[in-house]
Amino acid sequence: MSDKHEFILVLFLLLAALVAIVFVYVYLSSGAKSSQKEDGKGLNNTQRFWFFLLLTAALFIFASFTIPKSPYYLFEKESPSRVVFVAAQQYYWALSSEAIGPGNPGAGEAIELKRGELVEFRVTSLDVNHGFGIYDESNNLIAQTQAMPGYVNRLRWKFEKPGTYKVLCLEFCGLAHAVMRASFTVR
Amino acid sequence: MMERTTLARTTSIWIIAILLLFILSVVLGIIMRLSQGGVISQSPVVFYSQMTTHGFTMIGIWFVAGMVGVNYLMQRYVSAPVKSNIFALLFTIIGVVLLWVTTFVGKFHTGWTFLYPLPFKIAWAGWATPLFFVSLTILGVGWLVWSVSLLMAIFKKYSITRALAWQHFGKNPSFETPPFILITVITLIGVITCLLAAVLLIVLFFAEYFSSGTFVNDPLLMKNLTYFFGHTIANEMLYLGLATLYELFPEVSGRPKWKTTWYVALAWNCTLVFILTAFFHHMYMDFVQPESFQIVGQVASYLASLPAAVVTVFSVLTLIYRNSIRWSLTNVLYFMGVAGWVIGGLGAVIDATITNNLVLHNTLWVPAHFHTYNAMGNVLFSLAFFNWAANRFAGIGESGGANRLKIALLLVGGTGFLLMFYLGGAYSIPRRFNIYPMEFSLAASFARIAAVFAAVYLAAVLIFFWDILRKCLKLLTYSR
Repeated sequence: MSDKHEFILVLFLLLAALVAIVFVYVYLSSGAKSSQKEDGKGLNNTQRFWFFLLLTAALFIFASFTIPKSPYYLFEKESPSRVVFVAAQQYYWALSSEAIGPGNPGAGEAIELKRGELVEFRVTSLDVNHGFGIYDESNNLIAQTQAMPGYVNRLRWKFEKPGTYKVLCLEFCGLAHAVMRASFTVR
Repeated sequence: MMERTTLARTTSIWIIAILLLFILSVVLGIIMRLSQGGVISQSPVVFYSQMTTHGFTMIGIWFVAGMVGVNYLMQRYVSAPVKSNIFALLFTIIGVVLLWVTTFVGKFHTGWTFLYPLPFKIAWAGWATPLFFVSLTILGVGWLVWSVSLLMAIFKKYSITRALAWQHFGKNPSFETPPFILITVITLIGVITCLLAAVLLIVLFFAEYFSSGTFVNDPLLMKNLTYFFGHTIANEMLYLGLATLYELFPEVSGRPKWKTTWYVALAWNCTLVFILTAFFHHMYMDFVQPESFQIVGQVASYLASLPAAVVTVFSVLTLIYRNSIRWSLTNVLYFMGVAGWVIGGLGAVIDATITNNLVLHNTLWVPAHFHTYNAMGNVLFSLAFFNWAANRFAGIGESGGANRLKIALLLVGGTGFLLMFYLGGAYSIPRRFNIYPMEFSLAASFARIAAVFAAVYLAAVLIFFWDILRKCLKLLTYSR
């Protein structure tokens, strides 16, 4: 499990546990003698308003912090030193350093990238939707983009660790979806 | 006193049909997990046909379950439609039968998202593709007629501004819109909007199918339409369940009814807007989608969860906290459902953050969160309504005892099977894989453990079914 995945899982489990504790606590508190007013409104408006404002503010801060880190803006000011063309088809990946077309089907080419260089994957599909998911040597998903017919999605990435990276399909594309794969090397 | 109206009879037929289909679909889910776990061996065709059936059936039945509850409770305020309800029942049965024929006989297996152009890359019986779209059309027509007639029934008594509770934004409103009416109207507008998107989507599919190659669709537009429909309907069905919660929860608990206030009105009116734009989060990994849509997607996903959730969760918690509550199976299910909904919502908000989506999209994290707010949220809302309605149909009151086993099985089974999905997501295991590649050494074990826990969940559902079935049959066989 990557650090990022571990952080996400732990964060989720803590929040889920917190929710469960609050619900159990409130459940156990019931049955005691009624101590609240009977107008069917519960908390007063000011308390609700502040809680709501606090939550909204927290989410906006979270959004303004995370949105700029979205993959669309990754390395957008740099120019890639390497372009890898990716064409997906039921049920294989073609990866090539040259544009893929009738003259260059791209299959069978071994892709070797340099550690730390900025790579741009130009990903498309020749039939249905596929998902271009890049997995590191420890089988962690590190980045992805969809492979859609008629469109080219550009994913920019710098690989920091050398090794063999796998490409798995992350959009259901038919019978052999689970075995559609490719790999490339980073030195 | 037993209630013997046509609406009550129709409702009880719906309840039996929904629970039967639910049991079958849970069984399909368990079979798929067993297959992924290597306990049984299935061909990819069989696996993916089951996956398609499971997804469609679950979305369909829990949507109609919400509609059934809303339609039934509506008679407290307006003259509730009966004919369109029966019409929808017939069309749903025909639609589901045709759909199951395409998947089980025709081996149609595009997944429930049927992303364009997958339905045209025929790897199944040739007739299955057109029949699939015919079955969707039948379901769509039935549901559209039903939703429009429910909305019209409300508009006969409430003007559109009153139905949306806008008078609550002013000082001292002279008229109070019941929360049930407000939520139902907001939800039905969303339902009708997304069903219209589905109509457009199906028309575009048919246009290409019959054009013999002269008309070709745009994959990005089709994907947007698919998720506009699919995401929205999956969300709106939760709100239908919430509408029944607002109506029944205080009543069953022996507490005063909730009132619509300015912030309740505002929260639900905002929800109407956010819920229709949140679907963009399904397209984060389509980098060609305009960036503004992506950002709208993240912001709307955050905001969509806020008003409805905060208002509802607060209302439910403050109603119970240190109050004397008449606990019964109905309000316990609603209460647990709210907790499940919130926890699933947290998983969803995490995934709706674009930077997280980069490493979570289409891993098992996705089924993890939507199974949480469905299997442990929305399903419990509907089971709560079913239980309440069945008691009414059988002419018996809410009982407190003998429910611990059901609740324990639901909780243990649900938690265990969901946890395996979350762990799978954190381990980057892809979703919708019929077999797991060797690299994911834990994936098959997770699937096997999940199957065991899902069987425990199923045991709870079977007990519910038996109990509710007996009560509904009492009503249906009464006249004989």
